[in-house]
Amino acid sequence: MVLAERSNDVRNGKRSRGPSPNGHGSPDSSSEDENVIPFAAEKIRVGRDYQAVCPELEPVEQRRPELISDRALLVWSPTCDISDIKLDEYITTAKEKYGYNGEQALGMLFWHKHDLNRASMDLANFTPFPDEWTVEDKVLFEQAFQFHGKSFHRIRQMLPDKSIASLVKYYYSWKKTRARTSLMDVVSEGRNATSSGTGKRESGAGSEPGGSDKDSDNDEKKWTFHRGIVRGGKSLAAGGAPQRAAGQQGAQGEGGGESAGKWCTVCGILCNQITAHNSQKLCQACLVHARRTGTMRPLCGPSGRRGPGSKQQRYKHRLPRGIYINHDDLVAMATGPQPGDPPQPGLINHGEAMLKAMDREVISLKRQVQQNKQQLSAMKRKVGDTGVEELRPGEPPAKINSRWTNDELLMAVRAVRKYGRDFQAIAETLGTKTEAHVRSFFISYRRRYNLDAMVREHEAERGNAHHIQAGTTSTESAETGDNTNNGTDSSQSTNKDEKMEVDSEGVAIGASAEAGGPPTTPPKHKPAK
Amino acid sequence: MAMQPHSKKRVCYYYDSDIGNYYYGQGHPMKPHRIRMTHNLLLNYGLYRKMEIYRPHKATADEMTKFHSDDYIRFLRSIRPDNMSEYNKQMQRFNVGEDCPVFDGLYEFCQLSAGGSVAAAVKLNKQASEICINWGGGLHHAKKSEASGFCYVNDIVLGILELLKYHQRVLYIDIDVHHGDGVEEAFYTTDRVMTVSFHKYGEYFPGTGDLRDIGAGKGKYYAVNIPLRDGMDDESYESIFVPIISKVMETFQPSAVVLQCGADSLTGDRLGCFNLTVRGHGRCVELVKRFGLPFLLVGGGGYTIRNVSRCWTYETSVALGVEIANELPYNDYFEYFGPDFKLHISPSNMSNQNTPEYLEKIKNRLFENLRMLPHAPGVQVQAIPEDAVNDESEDEDKVDKDERLPQSEKDKRITGDGELSDSEDEGEGGRRDNRSYRTPQPRKRPRLDKDGSTIKDEIKTEDSKDDVKNISSVEEPKKELPPNP
Repeated sequence: MVLAERSNDVRNGKRSRGPSPNGHGSPDSSSEDENVIPFAAEKIRVGRDYQAVCPELEPVEQRRPELISDRALLVWSPTCDISDIKLDEYITTAKEKYGYNGEQALGMLFWHKHDLNRASMDLANFTPFPDEWTVEDKVLFEQAFQFHGKSFHRIRQMLPDKSIASLVKYYYSWKKTRARTSLMDVVSEGRNATSSGTGKRESGAGSEPGGSDKDSDNDEKKWTFHRGIVRGGKSLAAGGAPQRAAGQQGAQGEGGGESAGKWCTVCGILCNQITAHNSQKLCQACLVHARRTGTMRPLCGPSGRRGPGSKQQRYKHRLPRGIYINHDDLVAMATGPQPGDPPQPGLINHGEAMLKAMDREVISLKRQVQQNKQQLSAMKRKVGDTGVEELRPGEPPAKINSRWTNDELLMAVRAVRKYGRDFQAIAETLGTKTEAHVRSFFISYRRRYNLDAMVREHEAERGNAHHIQAGTTSTESAETGDNTNNGTDSSQSTNKDEKMEVDSEGVAIGASAEAGGPPTTPPKHKPAK
Repeated sequence: MAMQPHSKKRVCYYYDSDIGNYYYGQGHPMKPHRIRMTHNLLLNYGLYRKMEIYRPHKATADEMTKFHSDDYIRFLRSIRPDNMSEYNKQMQRFNVGEDCPVFDGLYEFCQLSAGGSVAAAVKLNKQASEICINWGGGLHHAKKSEASGFCYVNDIVLGILELLKYHQRVLYIDIDVHHGDGVEEAFYTTDRVMTVSFHKYGEYFPGTGDLRDIGAGKGKYYAVNIPLRDGMDDESYESIFVPIISKVMETFQPSAVVLQCGADSLTGDRLGCFNLTVRGHGRCVELVKRFGLPFLLVGGGGYTIRNVSRCWTYETSVALGVEIANELPYNDYFEYFGPDFKLHISPSNMSNQNTPEYLEKIKNRLFENLRMLPHAPGVQVQAIPEDAVNDESEDEDKVDKDERLPQSEKDKRITGDGELSDSEDEGEGGRRDNRSYRTPQPRKRPRLDKDGSTIKDEIKTEDSKDDVKNISSVEEPKKELPPNP
């Protein structure tokens, strides 16, 4: 086989560590020399040793198709009795409540001859086995993989109770999990790139606990792997790591803004529980320390809110936008049983459970996002390439007239309620006024019709919609970022696509009339004039 | 692209959930995992619920030896990574070890892949389905007693052999970037199977598939090879695919079709060198589907796995006649499809070395060969269910449509008669009478084309007077090829 592209493959140092994995020459070493030469001689061969023997055509009258076995097992057949929506509901329930996958859920329904009610009731009786991979297995696999690469029979020597098939399956699902956890690396790399471009900030690469481990695979895709997170419990439990991490949190506390949670006033980290103590608001760790010693907990490493010289370091340790680490969660993870420990009855690993719950949440959000995108594009297709243009009334029936009739005033006020300060949209709606007319209307009638209140109402509505949409990605830091962090904000808004243009009053300029789709549309913002 | 509304068909889909767990070896480009990715993607697109889903039985050694030699299958059954050293000699003989490594579960993998295609063929024979899909199949390089190009057991040949029990003539089309040599060789001397392969030719695996390879003995003119150069794009591909397939359908009149959908002809493939998009690739499925014959779709090559699963998912939707959104639904392997998470891919800016002239010459030369086929009666000139006609022929058409048509008719009959003497044992009469129970009837559809061109146009171009010149010049590029290192 021609494997010409082989040389382009970015090879990972890890893989070359071991000898050739399969005990025989890997295909790339020999293919070049051995396969190219015989090409000239390749011919289709003729003879008994090469051709197939065609069976006789069975005469029509002798055919008994009903007697032939299918040689396959039917596991699902389509039905038109159940609507797509109901089927989706059923599958979602099976997935989220009982841990089925889509195929298993449909299999259950088919087994019950497409009887939705009976299948739904039966779901609980046959819940599939949960992941047979324990945490120990996963850690072992990861270590074995680092050592042996994709040589599964060697990995198997370290995990003898797994079949090769099971290892391969796990490998393919694990590979992408690494990509998911690497978001922090991606973002921080992006930030480093911008910072080195402007020359204003130092590189923050060294600050990640455990460092980031780069790998590239055969799909010419780079995966980065953040060990600090994958083995979060372990690395954080060790030595001074928690404090270092806490330092990171502190930095995040500055930039992330108060809106996302509660902040300890001593170490400045984000946590679930804040207790008031001696006019300070303390997190659990600080509180315990303060109660025991009577003094505030000393902090090493860059602190959140103290020290004049900490600004530079704060940038260095800042987490990517939208990522927080909650201190209480870290504690939960660090104090739970560790992957290496023997399982103890009664001790549940809260950290593990929490991560799983978050994983599930991320997945369901992603599913929702993709569904929304699909709906949007379907709607867009329905509307057609021309968009709303053709739905507009033809030529304005009335001429542009600078005098305002009562009807027009009424309409304009309503339009302000609907479009806020998007004067162009208002002008288009009215049809008889230019943008400039609307502008002057806004100024002259501002007080009389209490237009500011209208605008506020409009913005509150849009703002809500926006927050729902932003959901996980969180734009709070950009909105409330304090002035000292302006430099960071601007660099962030350039590498994020959901950036917000903020006008002087700190509110988003409403979307134009064209973008007035469903609330899930990422609003298109015009730069403030 | 304004596509015709798809017609709804009963579709059966063959898949075994174990197939993604086989692993050819570190660094090997063939990844059975792509079949599972495809499966997961179409499950999440909601296509799964619209098909009959079958889990195929493992093909038995008996079934596989319908084509393969007993020795070879026995060898495949017994070899394992841990006993390879005992089989050195046989491994050489059967070409196992290099491109086709011995891996854990090798035989089972072959059983699943072959089992799917055979079961699909059986289903079509029973007329219980119009379209059957086995993305785990399509291993078109495997020979009777030899593994080749990542293929061990030729599921396609086994499937076609099954179809031949109920079908007098079966058409095999291969849109993998590599030549479908295994299938071509298996049916090189029979007139009951026509193999048509579109592939990259010239210093490329497997090295066969020359334009001049047309079959042997009774099977002469029943092998059709379309050698192509690097950089084929959607437009050029369709410009050659449409006329060739229409002509083949018209002259060969198969009663069942097998399409090998190797996805290594897509742009950005790790081993391929074409520039097709998912849409262009899927267009071939759509075009073949329109003929309305019992239709078996199998997989094949494809080494950039995220694109393979995109492609086969799209083609499943085409087979079903369902439109699916360009935005991928969330699925188990969602992260593989970043950064855009879209179904369709864009072509690269690589240059297309297939000039319209080159394609035209190939086409004319192949038409020449196809005219050598004995004719089924009453099919001279028909509207074909195809509305795209390549542009080159259109200009000439307008000049002298009526004048030249009778000439082409005459030509066809003459060559048809001449063919009889060429191979006496053709059994032409028998063929006519023994037409399969399902005589294909190319649907006559009003042409949607603006200029109303029909198959007549294509016939005319093939009769152009400079045929002789064309033939000689078609062969030229081959001579220009740089010598092998």
